[in-house]
Amino acid sequence: MIAAVGLLVGVILGLVLQPDVPIGLEPYLPIAVVAALDAVFGGLRAYLDGIFDDKVFVVSFFSNVVIAAAIVYLGDQLGVGGQLSTGVIVVLGIRIFSNVAAIRRHLFHA
Amino acid sequence: MASPTTTNGRSTESPRTETLPDQVVMPLLDRIVRQSLDEDYEVVAGRKAAEARPRPRRAAGRPRDRLSPAKPPPPPGRPRRVAAAVMAVFGVIVTIAAVQTSRDAPEATASRASLVLQVQARRDNVAGLQARLERLRESTTDLRTTVAQGTEDQQALAARVERLEGRTGFAPVTGPGIRITVDDAPQGDVAQTVRDSDLATLVDGLWDAGAEAISVNGKRLTALTAFRNVGPAIHIGITPLVPPYTLLVIGDPDTLAANLLDSTFGQRWYALKDSLGFVYDIKTDNSLTLPAARPRRLRAVRLLTDETKSSAQEEVSTP
Repeated sequence: MIAAVGLLVGVILGLVLQPDVPIGLEPYLPIAVVAALDAVFGGLRAYLDGIFDDKVFVVSFFSNVVIAAAIVYLGDQLGVGGQLSTGVIVVLGIRIFSNVAAIRRHLFHA
Repeated sequence: MASPTTTNGRSTESPRTETLPDQVVMPLLDRIVRQSLDEDYEVVAGRKAAEARPRPRRAAGRPRDRLSPAKPPPPPGRPRRVAAAVMAVFGVIVTIAAVQTSRDAPEATASRASLVLQVQARRDNVAGLQARLERLRESTTDLRTTVAQGTEDQQALAARVERLEGRTGFAPVTGPGIRITVDDAPQGDVAQTVRDSDLATLVDGLWDAGAEAISVNGKRLTALTAFRNVGPAIHIGITPLVPPYTLLVIGDPDTLAANLLDSTFGQRWYALKDSLGFVYDIKTDNSLTLPAARPRRLRAVRLLTDETKSSAQEEVSTP
């Protein structure tokens, strides 16, 4: 519940402040969002599995975001940014789907 | 995350009989699906479970597990708060991304739409220009044909004008011809003087014989010239002539005299000359120069329509 409140607060904060993203970081923002989404769903699944741990969640969240952005940045520097971000999104998307499937099994017992 | 940890984590939970690690025996996508949950959760959970038991036998040999009992257990309120803070960060990131994208969207769409419009406009423009190019090319060809036709016509007309000017006496002419001298009969009476009709007969005969230009005493004859007797003197127009009369005739010198004999007016002239005893002398000359006739003043102007054109052309070409 308090996590949901935190999410709400974050959304409101973002909406109110509407900070400008630096032009250099703009391409990495979507991939960071997808990586963060993966970490969040992983955390939610772990919570439902009853093995949630805050430290793991925090570390996985930030490391996911940083690594995803770093991979895309590296790809951009090498000239294969598009392909690398596609690969990252495929892997993260598969993880998100399977995590959501597990969450669904927990919530609906189906 | 790291593979040794993964293998260890799995072996603590459920010991495997295979000796090969996961990444060797499992297809990549399968492995991704299987490990979609961070293994660290299981590792930490397993560690906690081992801590909860007073003497964990399975994790006894691991150095990290030996250290962890020294750490104090986290206060119960902390995980939720930290998780909430991270969720707030996540919310901020998501919102920023969404806001940024939606802020950029109209710009991107607008620029794209305007580019599409520009492309279409330019394409239409190009098509129009190409059509115009085609039309202009066609009209250029037409005009070129017209110009060629016009040049040809103009050359033909210039030649005709030159010919007509020579014929009608509006331009001075030079060429071979014959020189004829006519005078009254010596010691003759009044009836034996040369009269206007006599000269007119001779000139008509010369025209018939193929003369191209004739002058009498330096006066160029044209189609409109008339000989008139005013008293004893012959006048061309209003200019009196004084005998002897010298006729310069441009034409073929070889045939002119012979043709004159053959023509009706020429025979009449010879008959007159012989019966009245005129002085008549004919000589060929290789180079005669005849002046232009005095330009006549324009008296009447008529609009040239299609109907009058043919008759006018006939009029012009008649002399």
